[in-house]
Amino acid sequence: MKHPLFLIYGLAVLLSTGYAEYRGLSFTKINELRNVPKTVRDNPGAYRSHYGYGYGGVGRYAGGK
Amino acid sequence: MSSSPVSPPVVKPKALYCPNCGGPVELRGFGHALTVVCPQCLSVLDATTPEFQILQKFQGTERIEPLIPLGTRGKFANVEYEVIGFQERTAGSGGDTYSWNEYLLFNPYQGFRYLSEYKGHWNFIRMLNGLPQQAIVGKRSGVQYDGRRYARFSSAEAQTTYVVGEFPWRVKVGDSVVGDDFISPPYMLSSEVTGNEVTWSRGEYTSGRQIWQAFRLPGNPPAPSGVYPSQPSPFAGKVRSAWSLWLWMMVALAAMILFFMVGSGGQLYSQSYNYHPQSTGEASFVTPEFDVTGRASNIEVAINTDLQNNWLYFNLALINSQTDQAFDFGRELSYYNQGGETEGSKRDHVLIPSVQAGKYYLRVEPEGDAKSTEVVQYEITVRRNVPNYAFFILAALALCIPPLIVSIRAGSYETARWRESDFSAAGTSSGGDD
Repeated sequence: MKHPLFLIYGLAVLLSTGYAEYRGLSFTKINELRNVPKTVRDNPGAYRSHYGYGYGGVGRYAGGK
Repeated sequence: MSSSPVSPPVVKPKALYCPNCGGPVELRGFGHALTVVCPQCLSVLDATTPEFQILQKFQGTERIEPLIPLGTRGKFANVEYEVIGFQERTAGSGGDTYSWNEYLLFNPYQGFRYLSEYKGHWNFIRMLNGLPQQAIVGKRSGVQYDGRRYARFSSAEAQTTYVVGEFPWRVKVGDSVVGDDFISPPYMLSSEVTGNEVTWSRGEYTSGRQIWQAFRLPGNPPAPSGVYPSQPSPFAGKVRSAWSLWLWMMVALAAMILFFMVGSGGQLYSQSYNYHPQSTGEASFVTPEFDVTGRASNIEVAINTDLQNNWLYFNLALINSQTDQAFDFGRELSYYNQGGETEGSKRDHVLIPSVQAGKYYLRVEPEGDAKSTEVVQYEITVRRNVPNYAFFILAALALCIPPLIVSIRAGSYETARWRESDFSAAGTSSGGDD
């Protein structure tokens, strides 16, 4: 074997990739919330989205061209 | 056939006296020597005359001590040779000169061999019996000999600048030859032209450690400096094998991609909706619950719209109805097509990592341009175990790094080798001589 380090490195890359795919990892940053009120199911408008209303709970998205 | 060493008989060198200084002069060449240099006064003497006629008196001011003393014996390929002569040769002109050393070796049964040394690089040299033929080596001119092609490397006129010991030709300081070197590591073919005579020799690159072991010399050989023309590359064969291993890795990666594509959990939910910008009712809604099963893995939420010169923003939350845990995220989609130039995209997706099994639903809250009157149709699709191609792309790039490094290092080594050449790849002289 002329490239034992490359072989070890390559296997490490492949195994890491396989693990990341198997566990469904992602680079995307998703805001995770706990104890969301069960009333959201019946009253979706009562939910305050972290993204749509800002951290202070005021203001709406003003995107577009 | 016997494999016993071919060793010269142990005989006492013939001792004579220098007519210039009276010092003893030893002859080791068994009558093959035409000239001998007095080791005391460095006068060049005619070894064929009984009175040792003086051919040249030493004019220099500096004596050179050969790294391998005259009279030292060493074995190469099971043949014992004795060092009987040493000369320094110099090529170039002005301040742009370089010198190397040549040792003359002798075995009464095998004849003469040579060792050359330049900046710690050694070559074991023997004369050729045949004549090399002209050949093209890649993009370079060269010669072919014994089935091997040699690329032309350098051409220079060399002068003998120091000499001591015995030689089978009439050597003296100031002798000049025009030499051409052709390389095919670890070999180097050299031609030397003197008058109408052309001699060819083949040198094989030999490490200083091998020389020291062959002659059982004390200490360590001088460390080699730079890259010698015929020095074998430490990367020889490694570039091909590195890319070969890379190919196997890529095959394994492709198999992995196929495995995860086939193993994709499939669609959990899909529904089309319309967005009415002028609607005054509550825009947000929730989807029906859907079951997420299996190991913790990702969930993809994809949005596909029919936007046309418009935008939509989605506040989304994937909510676990059993644990009240939510993944909250937003996605903006905009698509503009004006004068054939497009901007943005009608679709987007997001991968939510490591989602545990359970019952989930989506809360969707679309927002659009309140001044627009166009109804936008969009479809939301939720999938499980979706391959994340960013990892595969990163892995492919990461796997390219080792063979690229090997290739670059091998290329740098060859660049360093050919930087010293007098000839470009086209075979024309580059004008350099060092």
